[in-house]
Order: sequence, then structure tokens, then C-alpha cells
Amino acid sequence: MDISYLGVALGLVLLLYPLLIFAHLKIKLSRQLFISISRMILQLSLVGIWLEFLFNQKLWWLTLLWMLVMVLTAIFTIKGRLRFQRKILLPVITTALFTSGIIVMPWVLIMIVKPQPLYDPMYVIPIYGMILGNSMNSCALILERFESGLADNWQAYFTRISLGANLWEAVLPPFRKALHSALLPQLLNTASMGLVSLPGMMTGQILGGASPLVAIKYQMMIMFAIFSAASITDYVAIRLYIVKRFDKFYLPKSER
Amino acid sequence: MKNLLQIDIKRLHYGDKTLATDIKLEVGHKERILIVGSTGTGKSSLLNTLNLTNQSYEGEILFGGRPLMEYPPHELRARICMVMQETFLGLGTVQEILDEPLTYSAQKDLDISDRKQRIYQLLENFKLSPDYLGQKSSQLSGGEKQRIGLIRTLLLRPDILLLDEITSALDQKTSGIISDSIFGHYPGTVIAISHDPLWQARWNRTWRLEGGKLIDNGGVK
Repeated sequence: MDISYLGVALGLVLLLYPLLIFAHLKIKLSRQLFISISRMILQLSLVGIWLEFLFNQKLWWLTLLWMLVMVLTAIFTIKGRLRFQRKILLPVITTALFTSGIIVMPWVLIMIVKPQPLYDPMYVIPIYGMILGNSMNSCALILERFESGLADNWQAYFTRISLGANLWEAVLPPFRKALHSALLPQLLNTASMGLVSLPGMMTGQILGGASPLVAIKYQMMIMFAIFSAASITDYVAIRLYIVKRFDKFYLPKSER
Repeated sequence: MKNLLQIDIKRLHYGDKTLATDIKLEVGHKERILIVGSTGTGKSSLLNTLNLTNQSYEGEILFGGRPLMEYPPHELRARICMVMQETFLGLGTVQEILDEPLTYSAQKDLDISDRKQRIYQLLENFKLSPDYLGQKSSQLSGGEKQRIGLIRTLLLRPDILLLDEITSALDQKTSGIISDSIFGHYPGTVIAISHDPLWQARWNRTWRLEGGKLIDNGGVK
């Protein structure tokens, strides 16, 4: 069941309540609300038009090209978010996101979803978007945690290397800690799935007319894929980051 | 035997600043060497060259006749061990902390047949009761932590012990216990930086860094 454009416009009426609250409390958020909502409307409209076009074309190279645009956007989003070691981040993030995508996507498409044709953008793009979005957040989080884990305790690191630890042995404790804190929220989120709120993908499918029983299968599949991809991304990112972060004497390279 | 370490540093620097030039030294087994000099003369920089944590120098250092740079860093650091002013122990019990380096690949050939006795012996030398083994590191005082850190290093039987101001944050009594245990029982070579007056009498050699030169006093020829 479609909603009319008038219906969408009527949805805007709901924003009167936050505007009234802002005015009442004299919080300067009305302008930001206007900017944010306008941007959202513009971006989604463009994406909607673009995806409509993309889905109708069903061209393998166009699908692939759009996936490339998605992954590049993700790479620069992470890079923009992180404020340390900027020179070495680009190859680290790029390799990590590509690796997880290349491992997880073919499995999902060939073994599970099996769209006809395999590159059908209607399936490939939303699924890759969810996997990539989660990998991106997890990657930014783990790099940030790992670097701050090192920076908070260089003394621990230097104590380990002065007792004969090799590079891997010396970074293992902060690596473990960072991976733990990057993946745990996802696991907790997974455990509460369906009870608190319906995940976005499921909601979309159900509102779009799919049976809840079909929707949960997709949701389960996507959760497996997301967690797998995030773990692979995080692991590859830190493995590479370590190689670039330290010199051959296991000493941290200074940031210049 | 003077061939344990052969140091030939043409120039020791920190960034663009030259700290010292023409340092030529040989170190033998069982030597007790104290590095002295005022702040900023490069004492720590010099000490750190010996376990490959500082490469800001021109020249060559040989350990056992082989250039330091040719050793895999972890293998070298398993034989030339550094203890710093603030030892990091980590979480867990003292026993776990002492055992942690055993998981390192560089320590896989370490002889651990008499490890238990050695732990008890070292605890006794450092005036700590065996009960400490079950204690959590978070419950230890600064002096206790430093002693556990030293025991952890000594259990690895290093050829050379590098000490950087290890007692400067401790009281005289603890400092005395530490110097007694190291000088009385450790069989290897010690190279240390220390301002502790208690320690001054026990060295057989001093290296004084002054005006960009190193003056070598004493030492068994």
C-alpha cells in the first residue's frame, strides 16, 4: 500500500510539536531542525529517484559501480571521523572493507538469497548497504578503541616489549580489548532483536506487504551477515593498522 | 672477557640535537655500570640504544660479536632486559604476572625446570613472603610493584639488566632491599641510571656523560 505525497506532507505537521517545545524553552534548534529535515528530504528524494532508475536498469556494471560509490563513501566517512594517524588509515580501512565485502556478499547472494540475476540491484544494493553500514561503524569504533587503548597505556606496551614480547604479543591485550568492545554492543543488540523494536529492514518489508515470516528470515540472514562482516572488517583493520603503526623494532612511528 | 657488548657510537642525538659524540666502550660479563650525568645529557637515550628502543645514533653496537640491529628485536630484548621507573604489571595475581612472559615466543627456550624454587628464592631476596603470589596486583604498594616487576625480569635470566631510575620513586628501605638483591644475587651484567645515594658505592664502573662526551671510570680490565 502506497502513501500519497499529501500524506507525506501531512507527516510534516508532526514537527510542529518539537518546534513548539523549542520555542517554549527558547532552545536554538529550530534552524537546525529545518536544515536537517530539508537535507533529509532532498537526499532521500535523490536516492529514491536514483534507485528507481538503478533497479529498473538491472545492469551488472551499474550495480557494481554504485557499490563502489557506497564503499568509497564509507571509507571517507570513517577517515573523516578518526582524528589520529590519518596518513596510514586510508589503506587500512579500504582493505578491511573490501575484504569483508568480498567474503560475505558472494555467500549471501549465491547461497542464500539467490536473486535472478545474481546482480539484481533490488537485492544487492539494500543488503550491501546494511552490511557496509555496520562494518563502517564497527571499523571506526575499533580503530578508535585500539589506538586509545595503546595511547592510554604505552607503559604497558613498552614493558611487554622489554620483556621480549614480539609485536603481535605486545599488541594482543589492547587488540583483544578493542575487539571485545567493538563487537559486544552488536551482540547485545542482536539478543534484544524483535522484542524492543522491529529492525528497520523487517519493518520496511512488512510495510511493503511481505509476510512477517518472510521478513524474519531475511532479518536473520542479514544479522548473520552483518556480524560476520563486522568481525572480519575489524580484524583485518587492526592487523593492517599494527603493521603500519609500528616500525621494525616494534616502536610506534611518530605522527608527522 | 670484554666481548659481551661493544659500543661504538659516533654520534648520539635526540632529533637534531647532538647529545654526545665518540662513545667507544666495551662491556664484559658481570660488570656493574652506573651511568651518571645531569638531566638532558642523554643517559636514557644511551641506555635505550642497548635494547633497540632508541635508534637515534650513528655507529654500531655489537652484542656477542653480532650487530644489535641484526637480532630480531624480541630475541634481543629477551636477553637484554630493561626495567623502567614505573613498572607496569597488569591485572591478575602476582603469580599470573610473573608467568605472563612465558607465553612470549622469545622465551620458549627458557629453562623453567627449577622455576618454582627460583620464584621463592627471589621473593626471599626481595624480602617478600610467598603469600604474595596469590595477591592481586591492584593491592600492591609502589615498592612491592617495583620488586615484583624486577623478579619478573630476573626470572627470565637476562644476560644484561638495564635499569632506568628504578628506585627514584621509592623509600630508602625498599631501595636498599632492591640494591642488595640485585648486587648480591644477580649473576649478569647491570647497566643502570640511578641518583640513589644508597647505590653509589656498589658500582665497579661509571660512565659520566658531560659536555657531549662520555668519561669511563674504572672497570675491570
